Amino acid sequence: MRSRNIVLAALILGLLSVFNLTFAQDAPEVSEKGKEVYEESCAHCHGIEGRGDGSAAENLLPQPRDFTRGLYKIRSTESGQLPTDQDLFDIITEGMPGSSMPGWETSLGTNDRWEVVAYIKTFYEGFKEQETPPRQISLEGKIPYSEESVEIGKILYTQFACFECHGNLGRGDGTSAPTLEDEWGFKSWPANLTQSWNYRGGNDIDDIYKRFIGGIAGSAMPMFEDPAFGLTIEESKRYNELDSKAEMTETEEEEYNQLDEKMGNAYEILDLMADGDATEEQKQIYDTAMKEFNVKSWHLANYVKSLSPEKRPEAAIGKNVLRSQYTINELPEMADAAWETLESSYFPLVGQIIVEPRQFNPTIDSVNVKSFYNDTEVAFLFTWDDRTHNTEVEEDEDTGTTFEDAIAIQFPVKVPKGPTAPKPYFLWGGKLPVYLWQWKASAADKITELTAKGINNAEVQEVQGNIEAKGEYTDGQYRLWVKRALKTDDKKDLQLEPAVFVPIAFSAWDGANGDVGTKRVISSWYSFVLEPVPSSRRFIYPPLVALLSFGLLVGLREFVRQRNT
Amino acid sequence: MKTKMLACLALLIACGFGLFVFADSHEEEEMDKLVFSEAYKTVAVKDGGKISGVVKFEGEVPEKKKLEITKDQAVCGVTDKFDESLVVGEGNVLKNTIVYLMDISQGKDFDKEAKLEIDQKECRFDPRVQIVPVGKVLTMLNSDKATHNVHIFGTKKNNTSVNKQQTKNRKKMRLSREGVAKNAEGPVEVKCDIHGWMRAWIAYVPHPYFAVTNEKGEFTLEDVPPGDYKLGYWHEACGTNNKEPVKVTVAAGGEVKQDFMLKLKEAK
Repeated sequence: MRSRNIVLAALILGLLSVFNLTFAQDAPEVSEKGKEVYEESCAHCHGIEGRGDGSAAENLLPQPRDFTRGLYKIRSTESGQLPTDQDLFDIITEGMPGSSMPGWETSLGTNDRWEVVAYIKTFYEGFKEQETPPRQISLEGKIPYSEESVEIGKILYTQFACFECHGNLGRGDGTSAPTLEDEWGFKSWPANLTQSWNYRGGNDIDDIYKRFIGGIAGSAMPMFEDPAFGLTIEESKRYNELDSKAEMTETEEEEYNQLDEKMGNAYEILDLMADGDATEEQKQIYDTAMKEFNVKSWHLANYVKSLSPEKRPEAAIGKNVLRSQYTINELPEMADAAWETLESSYFPLVGQIIVEPRQFNPTIDSVNVKSFYNDTEVAFLFTWDDRTHNTEVEEDEDTGTTFEDAIAIQFPVKVPKGPTAPKPYFLWGGKLPVYLWQWKASAADKITELTAKGINNAEVQEVQGNIEAKGEYTDGQYRLWVKRALKTDDKKDLQLEPAVFVPIAFSAWDGANGDVGTKRVISSWYSFVLEPVPSSRRFIYPPLVALLSFGLLVGLREFVRQRNT
Repeated sequence: MKTKMLACLALLIACGFGLFVFADSHEEEEMDKLVFSEAYKTVAVKDGGKISGVVKFEGEVPEKKKLEITKDQAVCGVTDKFDESLVVGEGNVLKNTIVYLMDISQGKDFDKEAKLEIDQKECRFDPRVQIVPVGKVLTMLNSDKATHNVHIFGTKKNNTSVNKQQTKNRKKMRLSREGVAKNAEGPVEVKCDIHGWMRAWIAYVPHPYFAVTNEKGEFTLEDVPPGDYKLGYWHEACGTNNKEPVKVTVAAGGEVKQDFMLKLKEAK
């Protein structure tokens, strides 16, 4: 009897271990090597004990992950599930764009990266306690990207309430954006969906889909659920239509109630399914509703994909340099459709980390610029994204102090003669002074002219020239229109003439991100040029040359023919 | 030789002190949490006693802080909302304090009828403090014509970070799959990120001897098997008495009265 029990126990144990083996993860056994690599390459930010409290952590936002809670943002697994080993490996390999986490593909060998995966899992007990592999998000039923799908997704973007945080046009400027925090109490901003190069987990449609099916653990980004479960896209559209009506007719009310009941029923089944109490019939309703939900989610993913260029635009140098277009007419006002005819030049911005106080966690990605000029004036249109509209200094117990949004456009006082001539120091000048247009959100229609000889050495010019300006903020974006004469009488001003490359640089302040004074985002020197007026001689010389060469050819042919005869 | 030894000793003490300080910072986190008995067995309770009392707030009652409702005015702004991290009633009685037995090892079963629900109403969680037995399912209600997201923070012991959207169309949502805690822990924070001011707390508990004080600051623990116990409390703004729990002796069929006076936690 006793021996039988032992055999039985052994069998069970054996089975258990086989079961454990079948749940094979990709990472190797934990080794000294993993610890070594971790402590050399990762611990500076993530801390020796994986608590996200390394020596460099203080200055980073997003903060380095605390591995002790098992919360991983970027996963291929469902909400509430741990990541797969492959997920961890991929993040280490590719890094997290828009954060301080670099990709380690070139600096750590494949084996080392796998060793680190095994090691960071030791910081959270839950990995050991897992009995089954984490449930992965199914990518079944993917809907190919198309204009049509994007159109449907656009409606769903509202229905799924994405705008609450990400804003109407996806610029991360939703009304809930200013108060978002992660589970550690650190400020976190919703993604600006129009800048997919900053998506932490990649910008493939599959990546986007996984983010809202699985949520972003530890952050405010929840797992999404069908806002009209059990209803088709058409039905949910109708439901919302009726719902927003002030008064319904009797038939409409009946229709509404029917849809409402259908949806309520489906939600109840959703709970029953989770408890394992659903009947066959209910399971079928569930399956149909889930399929519809997946369809909706893919449309939504396609829409989000459509919001951003595929890649970060190329910076405004070389062939992309900012060329101010000549017009013989009056320069277009801010709202003029003429601006739509120009391509933007893209000026990437980075945190100012040279002079204290510094900005290690910039929120403004770039400024886009267009320009026209005529015989006497030049006009610029600057646009940049900012999630919040801050026009004053505000103190808040919870969110801290916020400042005023602003931008400054920087030129040299004197244009360097030739490309090798020295330019002023890019950080608001030095020995060579710079000429600045400063604009603040509190005075949207005003440019102040400054002269600066250093980042902390700027002066408002005594004589303020006649510069027209108009600024506005809508849907997470500032637009600033500026117009000035090409030439002025003030020696401290920049003087402009066509066909000369003029250095230009930017500083911008996102007040909600604590930007004030030297804490800001900046660019280095770029340049722009008033594109020379195309000469009317182009209509004379080229045809003349063509005619002459033709004549010459004809003559040559005659000459050859005559000689041969 | 002697000086060398002394130096070594000093170094050792310094190291030890360093370790102590380091360990202390970890412990501090634990001080804000509930204390649970190691094991608990359900038995039939005969002649159980009763522990009851009133929790009061000691000190100057801070002025009620009105919450700034920044969105969905039509739903959230119908009535004024106040910060509920410290709700003091007439006579300085303190609401939302958990009073519980720290070291009970056997006793009654959970009340199967008890509703494990938190409602989201006018963009406010109700109740603010909810006790949830380990392994049991919490249900979230949405009485609002607004979309919320139920965000229950993750912890070290339970991988239960839940962050699920609950749209205006979903009146009821059981957190069966993701929200069931396997281990006693808490209280953990609950918030709605869409409406950043919404806050609640959930305690995952291994036995039923937990009570939350009502508007009058009252609590009652019933059917307590006769014996000696440590009586603990937790309040989000006033902290715990983990260091010095109150010792109570419950006689068969007897009633123990125990009141508490709580002060605000010292700011760190």
